[in-house]
Amino acid sequence: METSREDVGIVIRSAFLKRGTQQRFSLFALTILSIILIFLETIDFKSLNTIRSFVKDIIYRGASIATYPSKSFSSFYQLMENHINLYSNYKELITENEELKNNISKSDFLELENSQLRQLIDEQVASPSNLVSARVMLDKQSPYLNSFVINIGGNKNIKNGMAVLDGKIFIGRIVDVNFFSSRVLLVSDLNSKIPVLSQPSGNHAILSGHGTSEPTLEYLSENHTIQDGDKVYTSGKGGIFTPGIAVGKVKIDKKKVKVLLFSDLSQITFVNINLGELNK
Amino acid sequence: MKLSFKQFRYKFFELLPLLLLFFISLNGSSIINVKFFSINIHYILVYYWILRKPENLGYGFIFLSGIISDVVLGFPLGINALSLLMVAGVAAYVRVVTVRITLVNDWISFIPALLFANFVYFASLYYSNYSLDYLYLLKNSIFTLIFYPVLWGVFTLIVNLQKS
Repeated sequence: METSREDVGIVIRSAFLKRGTQQRFSLFALTILSIILIFLETIDFKSLNTIRSFVKDIIYRGASIATYPSKSFSSFYQLMENHINLYSNYKELITENEELKNNISKSDFLELENSQLRQLIDEQVASPSNLVSARVMLDKQSPYLNSFVINIGGNKNIKNGMAVLDGKIFIGRIVDVNFFSSRVLLVSDLNSKIPVLSQPSGNHAILSGHGTSEPTLEYLSENHTIQDGDKVYTSGKGGIFTPGIAVGKVKIDKKKVKVLLFSDLSQITFVNINLGELNK
Repeated sequence: MKLSFKQFRYKFFELLPLLLLFFISLNGSSIINVKFFSINIHYILVYYWILRKPENLGYGFIFLSGIISDVVLGFPLGINALSLLMVAGVAAYVRVVTVRITLVNDWISFIPALLFANFVYFASLYYSNYSLDYLYLLKNSIFTLIFYPVLWGVFTLIVNLQKS
């Protein structure tokens, strides 16, 4: 039997426009509402931003409560794993400690020399007091977006674009600010592009995330001299981030210049936000 | 009025899809990643329940769950809501045109639902200037389709438990 156009029309009307069994809204109305919402997201208007911030803050709080059981379970699992690996971790720490002891004197000298050289060129040395601390409230890594939510926002003068650090290590930037929460876009995200500088080779590049834990260096000059083990720092180009914040070290793999991050992005509980450059 | 155990069980199983829907959104676990596998359980849940028992899962709740997912995962508001409504739309259409309930019918009709939803997902993210790993999206769609019968079995068990 051939299905006429009218039959298809009736089916579509029945499925999309009618409310159906115990449905309060029609699919069509909600679809239009979703499209309007997507469109509204592209509009930067003060009262709209206030409503958005309010809605997001409420949902973040709710989500933070809902994720509590899974968070507790994963911390318990982590604790057990740490206990099991106690002996091997202890041996690793002893070796690491020896290496660090050897490096301390060298690092002190370099730091002194660096600050003297900076004074010579009249560059202002970044003050560590410009940091504000925050706690990671929600860490739900979407496969499409590597980000997390922290528990401070507009209430602590947080602004879009500020650098986010794990201790003193660069891990990402603020991309969305609400009243009491903000979203941090991690360096590993596909949408993250950070201007960096390699040391000691001194090459400028863009650190691009790919959704994995190993971002790569892009837009390097053709005759670059980057080598395995070179350190990567923020370059401060574009004036967004303070220059010289450590990011990771270079690992060249099949001609791709990968960066092994100094910070383990999956294990972050507290972060520092650099208010420095943007608050001036 | 006192609820008997039977009534309580009925109510529990009636509310279970709704509880699951909001748990998934608030927990930000719409996509389950286990090594190479990646499954979108949000789509499967919405598709199954709109197809089988739409009275247990309102369109309004699906929309709300999508909005929550957008906020939790950091996407512009409306993207997940729209793609979930697309899945619900295809399921509602299939419900009207089919008579017999079989796994194979459901499974085959799930393909256009996934295609529509992912197309909408891709288009709205593109419109909002978000970069996306297309290969990952394809992989996710394929594994979601492959995994559908497993969750179909689990959900059918829940429906049967509610009936009994």
